[in-house]
Amino acid sequence: MIQYHDVWKAFDAPVLQGVSFGVDEGEMFGIFGPSGTGKSVLLKTTIGLIDLDRGDVTVEGDSVYRGGKASLRRVRYRVGYVFQNAALFDSLDIYENVEMGLPEEELRGMKRLDVTRRVWDALELVNLEPAQVLRKLPSELSGGMRKRAGIARAIVGRPRILLWDEPTTGLDPVNTAAVERLIVRLSQELNVTSIIVTHDIQGGLEMCDRVAMLEGGHLRFIGEPDAFRQSSDPVVRAFVDRAAAMAALDEVEV
Amino acid sequence: MGQVSRNVAEHAGQLGLLVGRSARAFATLQVSPRSVLQQIYIMGVQSIPIVLITAILAGIVTSQQGGYQFQGAVPLYVLGSIVVASVVLELGPVLTAIILVGRVGARITAELGTMKVSEQIDAFHALGRDPVAMLAAPRILAGVIVVPILVAIANVVGVLAGMVAARLTLGLGFESFLYGARLFWHNWDLFYSLTKAVVFGFSIPVISIHMGLRTSGGAAGVGRTTTASVMFMTLTILILDALFPPLLLQ
Repeated sequence: MIQYHDVWKAFDAPVLQGVSFGVDEGEMFGIFGPSGTGKSVLLKTTIGLIDLDRGDVTVEGDSVYRGGKASLRRVRYRVGYVFQNAALFDSLDIYENVEMGLPEEELRGMKRLDVTRRVWDALELVNLEPAQVLRKLPSELSGGMRKRAGIARAIVGRPRILLWDEPTTGLDPVNTAAVERLIVRLSQELNVTSIIVTHDIQGGLEMCDRVAMLEGGHLRFIGEPDAFRQSSDPVVRAFVDRAAAMAALDEVEV
Repeated sequence: MGQVSRNVAEHAGQLGLLVGRSARAFATLQVSPRSVLQQIYIMGVQSIPIVLITAILAGIVTSQQGGYQFQGAVPLYVLGSIVVASVVLELGPVLTAIILVGRVGARITAELGTMKVSEQIDAFHALGRDPVAMLAAPRILAGVIVVPILVAIANVVGVLAGMVAARLTLGLGFESFLYGARLFWHNWDLFYSLTKAVVFGFSIPVISIHMGLRTSGGAAGVGRTTTASVMFMTLTILILDALFPPLLLQ
């Protein structure tokens, strides 16, 4: 369904060096890795938010980098993207923000009542109370609520694919668990393919059907969560052990 | 030197692309009239008080300095011409533009820069929307519309302030002032003034948007880019201002 073909990207230093793999339809796929290994960059290439030095990404057969504008447009309308810090538009209220998630062509042909219903339903799906948040600006919501509103914007257009960029970063453990439950529920209810970039290894391993680990711009591991946990690769082991230690430290601090 | 040339070429190329993409957004009717009106209000209506204060002070100072230089040397009614020429040809357009660099240009760069570093610009792309059509084009059109209007207001107010100042401090009557103003008046001067205003009104939003969309590096990056943008806009205004006389006053 989604294929990364020999993806290369460098900024000041190389970030992605020939990454290739595929994600199947309906799959929930996790991407792990230390900070700065290009996880978010890789996710952004899925909808062409970053220019590549080499390679391509295809989504349901449409090329992101070689298919022209029409192809990229089709891809973007099929994909909902949940940004790390929600990336809600500051000057728009929550209704207008979520409304922006509806494809332009679809929006033009819709009656106002139908638009409102779609926005309302999307907010309810992410456990926000529409009547309370619709007319609020993003700055008037808590971090967890902003994240949920960002998810509502990503799902309101009924995408077939959801991309999650660090969906639990910056949230407390209670909200982290709630968002992770939400991700699983939405992926099942909406029957979408999900790719999740996350630092939360334990949560990611519980949620995902398959996971990959990026290290030094290369794909170090790809496989099922159990195989990841039991991997004998010393780099993977060190990463899993470090993540477990960090998680334990978080629990002690809480 | 090579790096400087590369930077200049990069800025020029990106500015050209921004203008081209904005023109295409207008041509394909992607620009929301509501956004344009909103920007006209922010850039134009909200700038009126500061533009008025600047114009009044510029008119008063020109009148006072002119009076000081000419008193006893040439007929004082010439002051009318001096004030009108100074305000209409130079001070009205340039001071208004410099004020708008600070009030409007810096705001645009900081706003778009913040949107860039907080991934809001990426969000536009992800949602299949064109940030140039939604953010850049309305601001550029609003700039081209409001700056000439603000300059026209500044011209009128500056001249009136100069006239009142001449009356109160030099005893030059309104009729004498207006007689001097009419004596050396060319209709071309008004065209010149408003042409400058249109060019400045185009340059300020284009540069500030361009700089905002180049922002990187979080909050510190927004600060750095905003400062650089104000410098870039101010220098551009002054360089364009220096190019106008040989092009349009010969």
